[in-house]
Amino acid sequence: MEQQNPNDPQLLLMISLAGGPKHGHAMLLDVQRFASVRLGPGTLYGALSRLEEAGEVEALPVDGRRRPYRLTDLGRQTLTRRLASLQRAVETGLARVQP
Amino acid sequence: MIRLLLALYPATWRRRYGEELAQLVDDSGLDFAATLDIVRAGLTERRRGLTQSLTGGTGMLVGPAYRHPGRLAVLALVVLAPTLVFVVGSLLAYQLGVQALVGPMESANALLNGQRFLDLVLVVSPAIALLLAIVPLVRLDLRSSEIGREAVVGLRLRAANVAVGLVALAIGGILLWHIVFESVMELGS
Repeated sequence: MEQQNPNDPQLLLMISLAGGPKHGHAMLLDVQRFASVRLGPGTLYGALSRLEEAGEVEALPVDGRRRPYRLTDLGRQTLTRRLASLQRAVETGLARVQP
Repeated sequence: MIRLLLALYPATWRRRYGEELAQLVDDSGLDFAATLDIVRAGLTERRRGLTQSLTGGTGMLVGPAYRHPGRLAVLALVVLAPTLVFVVGSLLAYQLGVQALVGPMESANALLNGQRFLDLVLVVSPAIALLLAIVPLVRLDLRSSEIGREAVVGLRLRAANVAVGLVALAIGGILLWHIVFESVMELGS
């Protein structure tokens, strides 16, 4: 079974890019807003380079000095699968803790 | 400062993402935590890059040899050559009675007599040659999958490497048989 960590930088970046193409700083701010996680610049680009290598995100033409990225179809499938797995864990956990 | 930190990354990574990372640092600022994060990520990429350069990427542990099988086959042949000449010359001279080779082989034996290092080189070179010829045929991948880490061994056939490997095996076998035979005869007498 695929291990899921809700704070995994790759997962957070995919969630961010699911909302539309973004460059590095926009992703950083977005992740901070929806997950309250501040990714370091090295962590962010490390995760981004692996996602690009895996074909899950792709670079778009440079916009000024910033390069936006977008989620690919493969990335969307991966994200859907990972979120569904997390959702099962969350629903199970909530059902067990709620009276 | 960011240029200095970027030097921690492998050149290929730096060329692809360096400018973007520098721009992100410009946008978000460079405090102590960000500096540490870049150092840690840079060392991770450096380690990853080193692994890939050693292994040809995708975790292949014998990558450099895998990428240059022809060169390794030639190198194996060079390593094997002295023993090959010696063994084939001895067979022709003493087993098949080629008289023209008896003189040169006697000279070679006289030269080797008492030279334990040269003896050792002749004995060990088939094993080294065999290794050099065969290693490029083996591919070992370390992968992380859903079941955890796994090692996958792959083999391929390349005529030159297989031929040199078989010759090295045959020469090594003949030499070993000769050494064992001589030792038994010496013990018997």
